[in-house]
Amino acid sequence: MKTIFFTGKGGVGKSTMSAAAAHQLSEKGYKVLAVSFDPAHNLGDIFNLELSHRTKRIGKNLFLQEADLEKAASEYIKTNTDILTEVYSYTKAFNLDMYFKVLRYAPGVEEYAALTALEKVLHNKGEYDIIVFDTPPTALTLRILALPRITITWIDRLRRIRRDILDKRHTVHTITGKYIAEGLKLPYEVKDDPVMNKLKELFDRYVAVAKLLESEENQIVVVMNPDYLSLRESQRIVDGLKDLNLPLRVSITNKYTPESKSIADEMEAELFKSKSLTNRHARVPLQPYTRDNSYRIDYDLAGLFF
Amino acid sequence: MYQGDRLRRLWEIIKANLVALGQSNREKAVSLTVFEARELENMFVLLLLGSFTGIPAPPSFLAVELLPHLEHELKVLNRRAQDSTDALAEIMGAIDADA
Repeated sequence: MKTIFFTGKGGVGKSTMSAAAAHQLSEKGYKVLAVSFDPAHNLGDIFNLELSHRTKRIGKNLFLQEADLEKAASEYIKTNTDILTEVYSYTKAFNLDMYFKVLRYAPGVEEYAALTALEKVLHNKGEYDIIVFDTPPTALTLRILALPRITITWIDRLRRIRRDILDKRHTVHTITGKYIAEGLKLPYEVKDDPVMNKLKELFDRYVAVAKLLESEENQIVVVMNPDYLSLRESQRIVDGLKDLNLPLRVSITNKYTPESKSIADEMEAELFKSKSLTNRHARVPLQPYTRDNSYRIDYDLAGLFF
Repeated sequence: MYQGDRLRRLWEIIKANLVALGQSNREKAVSLTVFEARELENMFVLLLLGSFTGIPAPPSFLAVELLPHLEHELKVLNRRAQDSTDALAEIMGAIDADA
C-alpha cells in the first residue's frame, strides 16, 4: 500500500491535483482512497458530491472521504474529559466537570485530533492500493507530520526514567520483600506497571505511523504556482520536511502558462539549486474553467508516481 | 526458673535483636534507594506536567493518558513542592547526616 500526501500553500491547487491523481491512478486499475484533511474540504466540490467522514465509492476503484477534524477533535476532548472527570470525580458533585470543556481550545488539540483521524484512515490500509491525502494549510500539515516523531522522542525519554524508577523499586523489593509507599503497593516490574504499559502502547502506535510516513511507500508532493509567494512557502515546506526526515518525492508547478515561463524557470532553478526538488517534477498547465469534472485534467499525473 | 529456660529466653532476646539489627541495616541500605526512586518519580511527573510549571512539556495528551495511573507520583510531586524550601534537610536525612 502506498500513501501520497499533497502539500502546498492555500489555493495552489492541492485538492485539484490530489483529486486528479486519485482519479487517474484508479483508472489505471489501482484501488484508490482519496481523503481530504483540509478543513475547507474542496474534494466534494471537485467531484460535485456531498462527502462525509464515511467512505463513498464513486467508481470501480475510486473511494472518497472527508475526514471530519471537528468530530475527531470532539472525540478526543470527550475521551480526555471522561478520564479527567473519572480521576477528579468529586467535580461532578459541584457540576464543575463541564469546565473541562475548555480543553477544546488547548494547544495541540487540533494536531492530535488530525493525527488520530490519520491513524484511523491508515488502519484500513489493507483495503486499498493507494491512499491519497489532501492536506490542510502548510503550518498545520507540518505540525501533524512532526507529531509522531516528537511524541516518540518524549515517550522514549519518559520510558527511560520510568525504567530507572522501577529498577530502584525492584532493588528495594528484593532487599525488604515489599515496596509500599503511603499505603499504596506500587508495581516494581515493567510488566505490572500500568504507566509503562500505557507508554509502550502509545510508543508502538506512533512508531507505526512514523515508520509509514518515513518509508519508501510514502510520497510527499509539494504543489506550487509560478509566483514568488508560493515559492517561499514551498521552500518552507521543503525545509520542514527535511528537518522531519520525511521524503519529498514529487513536485508540481500547477497553473503554468507560457506567460509565466520565466518565473517558473527561475523558481525551479532556485529549488533545484538547493537540491530541494526531485527529478520527478511536473508543470501542469492552467486548466480551462469547468463547472463539473474539474478532476479530469489534461496531464498524466499518475505517471509521476509509478 | 530453670537454667534451660533462662538460656532459651536469652537466646530469643539475642535472636530478636539480631533480626532487628538486620532489618535496621537493610532499611538503612534501602533508604537512599527509596529516596532516589522518589526523586525520579517527582522528576517523571514534573516533566510530564511541564506545561503547569512552565518547562518544555511533551504533548499534553500524554499527561492526560497517564493521569489515572499517577496518584502516587502526584502525591510525591505535591510533597516535594511543599518541602522544596528545605531540600538540604531532606538530603541530610537521606544520607543519615542528621543523626
